Amino acid sequence: MKAAVLIVSKVILRLFNINYMIKLNNIHKSFNQNKALDNLCLEVKPGEIYGLLGANGAGKSTTMNLLLGFLQADSGSIEVFDSQNNLNNKKEQIGYIPENVNLYPYLSGLENLDYFCKIANLKYKTEELEELLSECGLELDAHNKSTSEYSKGMRQKVGIAIALAKDASIYLLDEPASGLDPLASNELSEILKKLASKGATILMASHDIFRVRETCNKIGILKKGKLVNEILSKDVSSNQLEEIYINFMKN
Amino acid sequence: MINILVNEWKGFLRNKLFIFLSLFFLISLCGVTLFGIIQNEKQVETQKIAKEHIRKQWDEMEPSNPHSAAHFGSYAFKSTSILNSIDEGINSVTGNVLRLEGHKQNDVVFSEASQSLLISKFGKLKPALIFQFIIPLFLIFFAFNSYTSERSNGRLKLLLIQGASLRKIVFSKVFSIWVIGIILLITSIIVQFIFNGTQLSSDTLLRLMLLFSTYAIYFFIIVNLTVLLSVVFKNSTAALSITILIWVVWTIFLPSIIGKTAEEINPLPTRIDFKESMADDRSKGIDGHNPRGDRRQALEKATLEQYNVDKLEDLPINFSGILMQADEEYGNKVWDKHFGSLYNQLKAQKYIYQISGVFNPFISLQNLSMGLSGTDMYHHLDFLAQAEKYRRVFIKSLNDEYAFGGSKTGQRGWKASNDFFRSVKEFHYKNPTFSSFFSKYIIDFLILLFWLVILSILLSFSSRKTLDI
Repeated sequence: MKAAVLIVSKVILRLFNINYMIKLNNIHKSFNQNKALDNLCLEVKPGEIYGLLGANGAGKSTTMNLLLGFLQADSGSIEVFDSQNNLNNKKEQIGYIPENVNLYPYLSGLENLDYFCKIANLKYKTEELEELLSECGLELDAHNKSTSEYSKGMRQKVGIAIALAKDASIYLLDEPASGLDPLASNELSEILKKLASKGATILMASHDIFRVRETCNKIGILKKGKLVNEILSKDVSSNQLEEIYINFMKN
Repeated sequence: MINILVNEWKGFLRNKLFIFLSLFFLISLCGVTLFGIIQNEKQVETQKIAKEHIRKQWDEMEPSNPHSAAHFGSYAFKSTSILNSIDEGINSVTGNVLRLEGHKQNDVVFSEASQSLLISKFGKLKPALIFQFIIPLFLIFFAFNSYTSERSNGRLKLLLIQGASLRKIVFSKVFSIWVIGIILLITSIIVQFIFNGTQLSSDTLLRLMLLFSTYAIYFFIIVNLTVLLSVVFKNSTAALSITILIWVVWTIFLPSIIGKTAEEINPLPTRIDFKESMADDRSKGIDGHNPRGDRRQALEKATLEQYNVDKLEDLPINFSGILMQADEEYGNKVWDKHFGSLYNQLKAQKYIYQISGVFNPFISLQNLSMGLSGTDMYHHLDFLAQAEKYRRVFIKSLNDEYAFGGSKTGQRGWKASNDFFRSVKEFHYKNPTFSSFFSKYIIDFLILLFWLVILSILLSFSSRKTLDI
């Protein structure tokens, strides 16, 4: 039955030349009668970095939790496809970076990364893990230090390494640059661009207009659970984007 | 699953508080186990000295009247198994020694059910105290936030996104904490082996293994329940408060309430009532010291007819000995009647208490712990029955000597020889094998397994839902 559904969906996608990795159709989600998402429709194409801008409570984290399967929509449908255009809601193909990466304080950064890789059945050599941590901007002498001594930014870097180690086709990032210094934040942008160039699809929720403009190809503005505007970042400067965003928030 | 388990243990071993508490409990447990073994050895030694003393008294007894010797009496010692050093059970109330005397049977007016809380636990420091009360608390304190802390700091989401299932995560937590209890149990068993290794018969070994399994199951129940509550309430404080509340109800309130209820439903007579009622029944029978009794006259007549003589003085034997034995046998019948009804009441009480394990697995644990240590009511009743059986043989041999040992009726000053007293055998209690008693404890085993299965199913069911974390 499941195989039949996958074949049919694949045929439909090819027939109509539908080309996206994430699709949210008319999503409604309320918490105690407070609307968190109101008829949200959103599509993210393969290789695209989609930035979701919005104020606190706009529905960014709710969208992320719906895509991660931690919440269920009241109505509407969520479609997540894998790199072969198969409907695949499995978490294995999703890399996730939360706003606050809380690691095991009794483990070092390297041990944390190793542990989360083992949980995902990923087999890496220690040198490979070290390399990954360094790529994510964690200084070499911090690799074997207990994460209880880490700053928020250092923990965030390990979180990024955990997500990258999955070599996923989709990355969901909830305020990933939170706590990162400008240099590390810039490095993160470069990493994400590199991933996208290899075909990964990225959906990133953020407050940081500048970082979103720098990193993403497409930007959606979320207000009170509704997608009120979509802009291609190549069409606007950071200042213009800020102006548009503020206008939408004020109106 | 193994990765989560190993990670949990890394966390424990790098936690100074855990190391401190574990070492404290390990040392305490070793100390208490060793202390229990020493106490036990001391008791065995004391019993040995007392037995030798009594044997010496009988061996060196001057020629005397066998009836006087019957009142001089003897003692039955309940041999202490090495397992008594783990759980003293009702021994702390009933003791290990019975006095055996002519005409005087021992009574059992003791309700294990109603005194279940009092018995042993806080009397002497035994490993059972630590296993039943302290280690479960230790496990609760490590389990109550093992899940909620993962959830509240967001690591749970990361684990789930990495592909771990919630069920695997929670069961790994349960197993990792359960292993702490198992290590403490094994430590106690190792101490037993080191200091008591030479005394381990196959029955003791079986009991020890079952005791280990029983506590292992109970620890799993406790950890499972704690983690289950933390999954259900998603809040560490709520999970801890409710687990502690359940623990207090299980260990303090319910045993007392159920014990009292069992005694209300199947009341035992008071010691005074029991003795009066025995004396009342006894007085209706042949009284060896009352020659005018009807029964005495009937016995006298029958004996005279048997020996075909007209007067007691013409008998070739001593009628007083026959009279004593007849009185003894009537007394035995009275004792059997009263003991039988008492035994049935005790059994009914125990059954109610055992069944209540459905509401409180602690009761099943307590029953099994005492049963497997050989210190519960069933084992005590067995000792009582064996001692009474011996008392009857012992008194009969004295009465027979009085009747048929060469004296004639009226020869009150007749004395049995020292050789006869030397030939009187002492009592040797044989501890029953557990396999012969197993049927009495099946219900406790089944109830513990029931709790294990139910809680595991509930935990598995509650951890199927990964939404809304």
